[in-house]
Amino acid sequence: MSTLDSESLRRTAVPETERDRERRRIALLSVPFLALATFGAFVPLAQMLRISTSQSSFAAEGFTLAAYRELFASMVAYLPVVGDVLVADVNPVYGVVVWNSLWFGALTTVVSVAFGVCLAHTLEKYDLPFEGTIVTLLSFPISLPGIVAAFMMIVLFGTTGVLSNALAFLAGTEVDTVALTGQPSGTTNAVVGLFFGYLYSMIPRATFLLRGTYAEVNGDAEAAARSLGAGPLETFWHVTLPQIRPGIVGAVILTFRTALAIFGTVLVLKALSVVTFRFDQEIQVGFDLPMASALAAVFFAFTLAFTFLGLRFTSAEVSEA
Amino acid sequence: MTDDHVSDADGEPAADDYGVMETESHEPATDGGRTRGDVPSASNGLLDRFSVVFGRRFLVGVLAVTLVFLIGPVLLTFVASFFQSWTGIAPSGSLTLIHWEQALGLVETVGASRGLGTWVVDVPGTGLAVRLPASIAFSMLLALAGVGINLLVGIPIAYAVTRYDFYGRDLLNAVAVLPIVPGIILGIAFLRTYPNLPSAAALVIGYSLLKTPYMVLAVQSSFESMELRQLEESARSLGASWPRTFLTVLVPNAKRGIVSGSIICWTLAAAEFNFSYIVYSRGPKPFSLFLFENISNNPFQRAAAAVSIYFLIVALVTALLRATGERGFSTGGVR
Repeated sequence: MSTLDSESLRRTAVPETERDRERRRIALLSVPFLALATFGAFVPLAQMLRISTSQSSFAAEGFTLAAYRELFASMVAYLPVVGDVLVADVNPVYGVVVWNSLWFGALTTVVSVAFGVCLAHTLEKYDLPFEGTIVTLLSFPISLPGIVAAFMMIVLFGTTGVLSNALAFLAGTEVDTVALTGQPSGTTNAVVGLFFGYLYSMIPRATFLLRGTYAEVNGDAEAAARSLGAGPLETFWHVTLPQIRPGIVGAVILTFRTALAIFGTVLVLKALSVVTFRFDQEIQVGFDLPMASALAAVFFAFTLAFTFLGLRFTSAEVSEA
Repeated sequence: MTDDHVSDADGEPAADDYGVMETESHEPATDGGRTRGDVPSASNGLLDRFSVVFGRRFLVGVLAVTLVFLIGPVLLTFVASFFQSWTGIAPSGSLTLIHWEQALGLVETVGASRGLGTWVVDVPGTGLAVRLPASIAFSMLLALAGVGINLLVGIPIAYAVTRYDFYGRDLLNAVAVLPIVPGIILGIAFLRTYPNLPSAAALVIGYSLLKTPYMVLAVQSSFESMELRQLEESARSLGASWPRTFLTVLVPNAKRGIVSGSIICWTLAAAEFNFSYIVYSRGPKPFSLFLFENISNNPFQRAAAAVSIYFLIVALVTALLRATGERGFSTGGVR
C-alpha cells in the first residue's frame, strides 16, 4: 500500500483486481494484531503520558509539567559541579536511580555478553558430549521470572546459602560477613549479590542471541588461518571476531534492554535503587502516579530510541538461534 | 600468511624477493604484520601459545562453571523442599512432604495462609472435606486465555509479514517481533486506562501483548520453511477459496511452530511477574504473585517448594518442546 488515498482504501474494501484482494488480505491479517497493539499498548501508553501531566494522582485533571520538571531537575542535581551550580537545593534521588540503572545495566551487559561469546563459541566449535542436553539446560533460566532468579541467589549466597556457608566455613568467619543477599541496600555485598542475580537472567539470553550469529560464521576462513600458522586466540581475534561483531552489537543492545527492564530480581533482593525499583516505591508507597508515569515515559522513550537507533545505525544484527 | 603474498601486495620486484623468501620461509615470520602494513602478525605470542594449550580447557571450564551456576541452585531448591530443615551446607532432618502440602494449600497453615487459594469440597456421605488447589488452576487458565489471544493475533500477522511484500512490512515485522514495551511500563500504563476492568481481564490482555513476539517468531519460522506461494496457488487452483486455503491448508502446515509457540507463551505468561505485580488488585492471585509472596515472606523450605512447583511445570514443558523438535526455550532469546 504505497498510497493511502480514498481510492485505494475503497478498492481494498471492495476489491476489483487480484492485487486489490491481496491488499485486503494483508489488511485483514494485520487487523487482530493492530487491534491488540492499539488497545493493549498505544491507548494505555497515551493515557500514561496524559497522567504524567495531570495535577491529580487519581484522575486526569488539568495540565502541569511539574513531574517532568522535578524529574529533570533531580537528574541535573545529581551531576557533579553542574548540579551544585544550577539546582543546589534539589534532591538528586532520580539522578541516583537513573545513574544506578545505567551503570549497573552496562556492567552486567558487558559481562553477560562476554560469557555469551565464550559459551556460544564453545558450543559451536567443540564436539561436546550431551550437547543437546547442555543447550536445553542453558535455556532453562530464560523461562524463569526475575523473582525466581533472585531466589536462586538466596539459595547460593544468602545467609542460609550453600556457597556463602561453605565460604564462611573455609574462611573461618561468620556467614553474615560473606552472605550476598539479605544485606542492607547499597552495601557492596548486596550489590554483588544483585550482580549475580542479573547475570543469572542475562547470560542465557545473551548466549542464545549469539548462537544465532555463530551459526553463520564461515568456518573455512578460520581453518585457513589456523593452517597458515595463526594460533587459536589470533584466529579468534582476526578472523572470527570481525564476523561476529554485528551479532555482538545486537546482543549488547538487546541484553542492555533486558537489564534496564529487570524488576522482580531487584524487588526481592532490594540491593540497589534502580529505575524499575523506584516505580514500585512511587506506586505502592507514595501513590504518586503522575511522577511514576513521567518516569515511565522517559524510561520508555529512552529504551525505544536506544533499541531502534542502535539496531538501525550500528552494524547490529539480531539473529535467533 | 606467506611472504610472497606480502611482497606482491607491496609491488616489489619479485626477483629481488625470492632470495629473501627462501631464507625466511623456514623460520616463523616474526615481523610479518608489524613491518609490512595491514597483514596481521602470524607470530605466535605468549598468549596465543597459551591458548593452544589451555584455550579449549578454559572455554569448557567457563561452560561448566556457568552450568553449575545456572542449574545448581535449581537442583538445590528442589532437594531442599523435601527436607525438614536446611542450615549450613547440607540439608538435615527427615524427608517430608509438608512444605509441598503447605505451598499447594492442601493443609492449613498457621497465621496468614500464603498457600494457593483453595476450594474446600465436602465429599458427600463421608463427612470428609477435600481441599483442592483452585488458584493454581485459575492462574493456569489465565495464561491459557492469553495464549488463545496470542494465536488469533500471532498466526495472521506472522503469515502477512512472511508471505506478502507490502509498504510498511519491515516496521510491522519489527513491532510484532521485538518486545517493545517492558512489562512494568505496560503495568503503569494500565493502572489508569482501564481502572474498572477486572484484574483477570487486564492480566489476559497484558499477557497476550507481552508474549506475542514469541508466538510470531515461532510461527514465522514454520511459515518460512514452507513454499507458501506454491501451497496457496495449488489450493486456490483446485477450487478452494482464500479463507479456506488459509485455514485448512496453510495454518495446519505450520502446526509445529504453532504448538511450540503456544507452549512457550503459556509458560512465560504463567510466570509473568512485572506486569502482574503492578496491575493485580483483587480476585484470585496469578501464579507469579503467589511465588513472590512465598519468596519474600515464607520460610525457606516452603518457598523452595513453591518455586519447585514452577520448576516442575517448566521441566514438563521443556520435555514437550523437545518432543516437538525445539530445544527448550531457545526460540525466544529476547524478552
